[in-house]
Amino acid sequence: MKLEKELNDMVTACAQCFYCRVCPAFQTLKWESVSPRGRVYMLKGLLKKKIKLEPQLVEDFYKCTTCGACEEQCQTALKLVELWEAARHEFVKEGLAPLAVHKKLRELAQKTDNPYGEPKEKREEWIKGYKYEDKAEIMYFAGCTGSFRAVELAKNTVDLFNKAGLKFAYAGKDEYCCGSPFLRTGQRDLAYELFKKNYNEWKKRGVKTIVSSCAGCYRTILIDYPKIAKELGLEWNFEVMHTSQLVNKLIKEGKITPQKLTAKVTYHDPCHLGRHTKVYEEPREVIKAIGAELVEMERNRGESFCCGSGGGVKSQFKDLAGAIGKNRIEEAKETGAEYLISCCPFCKYHLKQMAEEQGIPIKVVDLVEVVNNLAVKGEYKGNDIRCA
Amino acid sequence: MAEEVKEIPKSEWALQRYLYTRDISSAPVINLLLKQVDVIYQPRDEKEVIEVLRIAEKEGATVVPRGAGTSGYGGVLPPKDIALFRLSKRKTIMIDFTRMDNFEIDEEKQIVACSPGAVWWDIEKELNKKDLTLRVYPTSAPSSTVAGWIAQNGYGVGSLKYGGIADNVEKIRVVDFNGVREIEGKDLKYYVGMEGITGLITKAWVKVKEMEDMKYYGFHVSAKEANKIVFAGEHYAGLFLDAGYVKLKNEAFGTEMPEKDVLMIATTEKLDGDESLGEEIWEKRFYPMRVRRLGPGLVAAENVLPAESIPAYLNRLNKMIKKPHGSEIWYSKGKKGAVLTFIPSDERKFIGYTMTWLNSIRALKTAKRMRGVPYSTGFYLSSEAKLLLGSDYAELREFKRQVDPKNQLNPGKVFPTGALPLAMRIAQKVIP
Ligand SMILES: Cc1cc2nc3c(=O)[nH]c(=O)nc-3n(C[C@H](O)[C@H](O)[C@H](O)COP(=O)(O)OP(=O)(O)OC[C@H]3O[C@@H](n4cnc5c(N)ncnc54)[C@H](O)[C@@H]3O)c2cc1C
Ligand code: SF4
Ligand code: SF4
Repeated sequence: MKLEKELNDMVTACAQCFYCRVCPAFQTLKWESVSPRGRVYMLKGLLKKKIKLEPQLVEDFYKCTTCGACEEQCQTALKLVELWEAARHEFVKEGLAPLAVHKKLRELAQKTDNPYGEPKEKREEWIKGYKYEDKAEIMYFAGCTGSFRAVELAKNTVDLFNKAGLKFAYAGKDEYCCGSPFLRTGQRDLAYELFKKNYNEWKKRGVKTIVSSCAGCYRTILIDYPKIAKELGLEWNFEVMHTSQLVNKLIKEGKITPQKLTAKVTYHDPCHLGRHTKVYEEPREVIKAIGAELVEMERNRGESFCCGSGGGVKSQFKDLAGAIGKNRIEEAKETGAEYLISCCPFCKYHLKQMAEEQGIPIKVVDLVEVVNNLAVKGEYKGNDIRCA
Repeated sequence: MAEEVKEIPKSEWALQRYLYTRDISSAPVINLLLKQVDVIYQPRDEKEVIEVLRIAEKEGATVVPRGAGTSGYGGVLPPKDIALFRLSKRKTIMIDFTRMDNFEIDEEKQIVACSPGAVWWDIEKELNKKDLTLRVYPTSAPSSTVAGWIAQNGYGVGSLKYGGIADNVEKIRVVDFNGVREIEGKDLKYYVGMEGITGLITKAWVKVKEMEDMKYYGFHVSAKEANKIVFAGEHYAGLFLDAGYVKLKNEAFGTEMPEKDVLMIATTEKLDGDESLGEEIWEKRFYPMRVRRLGPGLVAAENVLPAESIPAYLNRLNKMIKKPHGSEIWYSKGKKGAVLTFIPSDERKFIGYTMTWLNSIRALKTAKRMRGVPYSTGFYLSSEAKLLLGSDYAELREFKRQVDPKNQLNPGKVFPTGALPLAMRIAQKVIP
């Protein structure tokens, strides 16, 4: 196995100090082979040919949500998520990955441009009844989960945009998966294909700003896309926003004036929005703007604990995702909050499921849903979030 | 990956064994004297620890206890039997205390009762909620464990006022092949700093204190001047960084601290120092090894010296070590300082790295000439046990023979056995 110089240097620089023990996978499974330190040592062993690449090693390597908690604590400031993704890509090249479910997602996306395997025509069904443009400077990117699974999130987002009088475009059937599931699982080639399709569409429609309500899409378009564009020799001059940032802006500009939410809420930082892209304060500012009482969980912002569903973990390792999610939902419960607000459809769906399984009566909702509901009904009292 | 036998989580998977046979050191050549552990157990309570010892007894296996594996003297590494002059190869069981990580705070007595795998900074966070704080902790506190530090007899943050961990443990519980014992007072010496060779720590009662309003001050002074400030008054902690280390740190952190010798004092007293400089150094106290990035890789030497010898020791190192290097010193009670010297070196370049590594032996020789001792024995420096244990040496060795006659508990550690101690002694003679 080979790694490019910068990554090889990283592997060598690891101090083996184990500050990365905060890893949700290690905290759950307790073995070195699923810890960041163990992964780096594995890579070191592979590079030095002291150990062989084997299926079980690869499987444990994938028990990582790419949450970035390890990176945040790292003694030697290693870019660990980049390292994990590069290693996974190498495993794919060696023929030991993708894992079964990730491979299936690839096959579906190759046929339908979304990892759910839903027919392309269905992608734009959710937007019926809302006002949008074919071409505009702002493009709303609903993402596959918003389009096929968490449609309430997409609907609430555009509903809110309509109320704010925001002119935005939506690509409908011509929106494609951002490629995040494939970048995270080492299947880079497919992500590049999807990038090209989205990029061409945005260029065609004169887009300047891309807005996403999914933390995963946002991270991919903000961080991965410019790198891919550079590799492919394409210019990249798009501004990328997460809806929480746009909503915060709209509230500040007085374009949305939501009613007050008289409730205690806690906020879960999605890994891809928080640690990966450092959007910590805007969602909190929105929560404060709606007058809710924000009680932080013990681990918040850079130290936030993953929900457990990212990096292909929920699709491939359900039990692990469940155990991590339960840990987080317990922490949310400790705050005594009535609402658990997040800014990512994966976090919301997973944490909601965990709350139900644990019999914890906390209401798990997306920030945009809350704001949109408050903007609809003046009399909102915090117990009837329409799409929750 | 991990199979459950008799309910105790364990793993015999080759990759897992590879991953557990390591610590933070990367000693060239000496690695040839090490073997891999055969199985790793992760007991969840004391009963399970006893059960694993029973298995070890039955199988005639050796037992290596492990906390977070953040020590750097080979204490958690199993030496090859050949190095122990044994003909029959014994199986090696590693006991990883990761799952025994709970602790209980007694606010009134200001004591925390800790399971062996409890992590220092997890404890500190809970203490802070009750307006309490640790008296002493290692700068590896975000990951290192209570029993690991006790078994190392470490010094660290707070040692200037409160001494080493030995001075801050009220009582411990240990298990060996004969059962369970509770140890306190003078008898603690049979276990503290003994790296598990006389018994496995299953619980420790650690003294804590009330939170105080601490201030951090920076002073641009030489090591000689630093001694005067550090030991004048009842300060909580003192850390000196020499100019060479500040330079390396700046490079590794991308900061712009003035590249001069600097002292940080953490104290409740009001001092005439630079607070923002003091705070900057304090905030980064857990990251002494960021400079590893520069090698990539690092050769380190750690020796404890009387404070008055430190300025001359640093001078000597500066003349001796040709590559960019630097030292940090944590001071402790009794007018001593633990001097940690870092030399970034590319670990992948065998000859260059090995040559750089010889500097740690040179540093030890120099320290010993100045009434210094190595920080620990572990596996690598068991040749120095007499020096480190002093007048207790014979008594402790006899105690080890009594409690572990078949030398199954962490063999090859603390006391010199096998070829390595001899090789180390020769190395100290021949390396100029
Ligand atoms: C960034 C960094 C900073 C550091 N700073 C300091 C510092 O300030 N001061 C300092 O003293 N050290 C320091 N160290 C070294 C190391 O972290 C400490 O010695 C630490 O206490 C080791 O704890 P551990 O849990 O990692 O133990 P391990 O490394 O796992 O074990 C240490 C020794 O204890 C034995 N042991 C472990 N558990 C038990 C048990 N239950 N019963 C009996 N024996 C046991 C092991 O066999 C081994 O011999 C630092 C290391 C790093 C990486
Ligand atoms: S990214 Fe998250 S899950 Fe992956 S190794 Fe780091 S801390 Fe663990
Ligand atoms: S925190 Fe960073 S340097 Fe320390 S073990 Fe983990 S990856 Fe290595």
